[in-house]
Amino acid sequence: MNKIDAKVHSGGSDRETAARDWKSGYQAQVREGKTVRNRSGLEIQPLYWPDEEVDATYDAKLGFPGSGPMTRGIYPSMHRGRTWTQRQLIGLGRPEDFNGRIKKILKSGASALSIIPCNSVYRGVDANEVEPELLGTCGTVINTVQDMDISLADIPIGDISIGLNDPNPFTMLAQLLIVAEQRGVPWSKITGTSNQSDYISHFVANHMFYRLSLTGARRVQLDAIEWLAENVPNWNPLSVVGQHMQQAGATPAQAMGLTLSSAIQYAEDCMARGLEPNKFLERFTFFFDISISFFEEVAKFRAGRRIWARLVEERFGVSNLRAKRFKFHAQTSGVDLTRQQPLNNISRVAVQAMAGILGGLQSLHTDGYDEVFTTPTEGPAKVAIATQNILKHEAGLCDVIDPLGGSYYVETLTDQMEAEILRVIAEIDEQGGMFKAVENGFVQKAIGESALGFQEAVDTGEQIVVGVNAYQEEEEETVLPAIDRPDPDWMQGQIDRLAAYKANRDQGGVTTALSDMRTAARSESENTFAAIVVATRAGATQGEIIAVLRDELGFGRPLVVA
Amino acid sequence: MKQATPEMPALARRLINGETAALARAISVVERDTPQAIEILRAIRPHLGQAIVVGFTGPPGAGKSTLVNAYVAELRRRGKTVGIVAVDPSSPITGGAVLGDRIRMAEHTLDEGVFIRSLASRGALGGLSASAAQVADLMDAADRDVVILETVGTGQSEVEMATIADVRVVIAAPGLGDDVQAIKAGILEIADVLVVNKADQPLASQTRRQLNAMLGLRATAEHPVPVLSTDAINRVGVADLADAVTVVADRRDRQTDRSALAGRTRHLLAQAVSKAAEAHVMNSRSEKVEDILHAVQDARLGLTDAAKQILGGILGYNANEQ
Amino acid sequence: MTLDTVIPARVLVTKIGLDGHDRGSRIVAAYLRDAGMEVIYTDPWQKLEAVVALALQEDVDVIGISSLATDHLLVPKLMKALDEAGLGHIRVIVGGIVPAEEEADLLKAGVSRVFHPGSGREEIVEAVAKLAVDAADDRTDD
Repeated sequence: MNKIDAKVHSGGSDRETAARDWKSGYQAQVREGKTVRNRSGLEIQPLYWPDEEVDATYDAKLGFPGSGPMTRGIYPSMHRGRTWTQRQLIGLGRPEDFNGRIKKILKSGASALSIIPCNSVYRGVDANEVEPELLGTCGTVINTVQDMDISLADIPIGDISIGLNDPNPFTMLAQLLIVAEQRGVPWSKITGTSNQSDYISHFVANHMFYRLSLTGARRVQLDAIEWLAENVPNWNPLSVVGQHMQQAGATPAQAMGLTLSSAIQYAEDCMARGLEPNKFLERFTFFFDISISFFEEVAKFRAGRRIWARLVEERFGVSNLRAKRFKFHAQTSGVDLTRQQPLNNISRVAVQAMAGILGGLQSLHTDGYDEVFTTPTEGPAKVAIATQNILKHEAGLCDVIDPLGGSYYVETLTDQMEAEILRVIAEIDEQGGMFKAVENGFVQKAIGESALGFQEAVDTGEQIVVGVNAYQEEEEETVLPAIDRPDPDWMQGQIDRLAAYKANRDQGGVTTALSDMRTAARSESENTFAAIVVATRAGATQGEIIAVLRDELGFGRPLVVA
Repeated sequence: MKQATPEMPALARRLINGETAALARAISVVERDTPQAIEILRAIRPHLGQAIVVGFTGPPGAGKSTLVNAYVAELRRRGKTVGIVAVDPSSPITGGAVLGDRIRMAEHTLDEGVFIRSLASRGALGGLSASAAQVADLMDAADRDVVILETVGTGQSEVEMATIADVRVVIAAPGLGDDVQAIKAGILEIADVLVVNKADQPLASQTRRQLNAMLGLRATAEHPVPVLSTDAINRVGVADLADAVTVVADRRDRQTDRSALAGRTRHLLAQAVSKAAEAHVMNSRSEKVEDILHAVQDARLGLTDAAKQILGGILGYNANEQ
Repeated sequence: MTLDTVIPARVLVTKIGLDGHDRGSRIVAAYLRDAGMEVIYTDPWQKLEAVVALALQEDVDVIGISSLATDHLLVPKLMKALDEAGLGHIRVIVGGIVPAEEEADLLKAGVSRVFHPGSGREEIVEAVAKLAVDAADDRTDD
């Protein structure tokens, strides 16, 4: 095995040249070359790799992190340089409740913020159009620019990465941009990602996020990508999601294959618009589920990264290194958590998180152990963040890049997962691409079969689940935090606030902006997202904007029956 | 206003008076084929014949449910009340079924003028539930102006649908390879109206041409079969479809086709007999049946002769004298 | 020997409220189908009035509500609406993520059973079959 300083200085072999290149990239990212030692006092190098005579296939299959096949990571330094972003999804009650909680979470170590809106927002309706019992029970009620402003009070929005769980047509992003405008923060300083922007995934597996029809969402998606590239250049307009599919029952390989097929579809759609893949692919990001099948998950991420780097070059002629990087956020899987013996979930989350970290993720959300009981409450959310901190600082997971690389098992498994993922991609290609395969129900059917298969394995005991079909306990002593439901009076206050907001705005301006947006949606050439930003600035609520767009572009509904 | 006579079963009376819950319940009773069922069916007889029964069939993927949904919206616009019998296949092994056709018709769920009932085919070969005809009668008696039968498009349901429906609409979609083939296989003969749905798709006009050509070969047709184009999702061509159905229905009324009604009853009877005979053979352990079974097993008796002997046993007549 | 048709239990499997995660309801629908029942399956987000209309038209014995978020909070309202529509005989079960204290509220409102993640095929099928019989016994109109 090689060490960084021993062999890199001089030399003629390709391996050594590649290692030198990697090292200079590494040093550019990690400025202070502080020596890392383990508890026995041994020095830990950032990367280990085989000699050429030991493994001749290394360069083609693994290579050095940050270039080439990218199997070992997309950056030269990976977690040894900058660790992953700790991104906890929270959202609760009123905007001020969210604001109070996000400030606490940022203090406890989270390094970016995410907003989950209330399910009513996902459905594209305003607070006054919902059964009041449900309002704010799953996320924050954000209907207007004012709501967004209150949610982000005292938060330096130009200096922190913001994840918006904001499905097509991206009304929350429009609200964020108007808040920035009002605060004098230039749009170029707004960074973050439109999570839940992958409308195809919603039609495949998560019937919660879509607000427009498949074709309508496709239109707005491309409009947004095009407009944001011009106006908000550091925003990631697309996060391609494998999480929903795996949560819905796809196997890890299936989920990865389908996600890459979606990304191919989006890239082809962008290219059909005349956009340049070397540019727009820099802003593509991914979002995956991490199950507890530890090695399988590590191999899934390594294989996916390798396929993507090669695929964008072969299919789209991409040469820009930054456009080949497979950047992904991951969330530990709630499906693996159990209601029985719920504290066991803390261990499950830790193992899932490890798989994601060793698989080379860029951003991580860890689930609270109470997720099977309720929407996550504050205590368990803290434990979830602490889990990340423990893995990062106590377990030494960041010391070495791709520490499982070179394991006979992991490399073989990575190859096998790669073959399986490629098989899935080929299957989708045969259907005419992901859009068509979803439209005709092919994908939904395949996932449904996998879901049933897994459930059967649990039912028959072939798959052991501790506390569920093995190691059950008679009397369960479980201490669970009290459920956290928003105060009904507060929610009435939110409904009143919306009414006051509407009463105080320039109604003529809103009507004009909404009508202009309708015209834009009808025309083939105008940009719908630009019109959404204008309507938001004029004071239109998200419910009003989505209602008009649904009228013009169609309402999103599930495509396939059980 | 229909008059319910006092001695009829309460359920039938409530049904005739237009009570939705009674219609729903009566359908279940008829599906169970209990003694009460026959009372209800007898009670509603004088109230039949008001509704137009329209059958929709076509291969899977042609967009049947979506087209039915759009057609219903058009009928509601015209002030007609509607009953829909949506038939999905049962599993031949477990008998269970997931009935999801009405998902495509969700917009009518809260409309009291639309009553939708999902039926499982329960092993009926042609894709129509055995009791679909009786369910259609119940809807007719319950004052539905139009009763729609939506059937599994296996390409085998044509005969049964032909016996039940006044107007038969056959749906094709462009670009489905076997589509035209399936239609050739027999549905074409029973179609009163042909529809090429998904007319916005590239192969639509080609499919239309193919269908027209095939119809041209059917020289015996009394009335030319219209070939319409619809785009059900965008509600294009649906009013024309509604008009075409009305034209056929009016023609039927003028002909007052008694023989068709007799044909339908004969068909239902044949179906019931075969079901009963099957149950007898499967469940009976009588000596006679066992003897015949062994004779077939030992190749002493052919299947057809065996069937005749069994029928003779059940019915008490000589099945050879036909 | 009987020639009477045995009609399988009819079950409406649906979701109310705002959430759309339907893995659970799909799996349960498949379980019940494979157990020989007839399952009326719908999109998520059904309005309460729609559930009542569906249950009425389809003459179901059991309604299964899947709730992965907080939509079970609406179930007491649904129970009341079913009662008012004369459908009090229909048995209602809820499956999904329901906190213990809220489970008690649901049972008090008349829900027959609450299933949690980890409930197996047999447990669900057996319970639904039994509840369907109970519902049929309770019918008042035949």
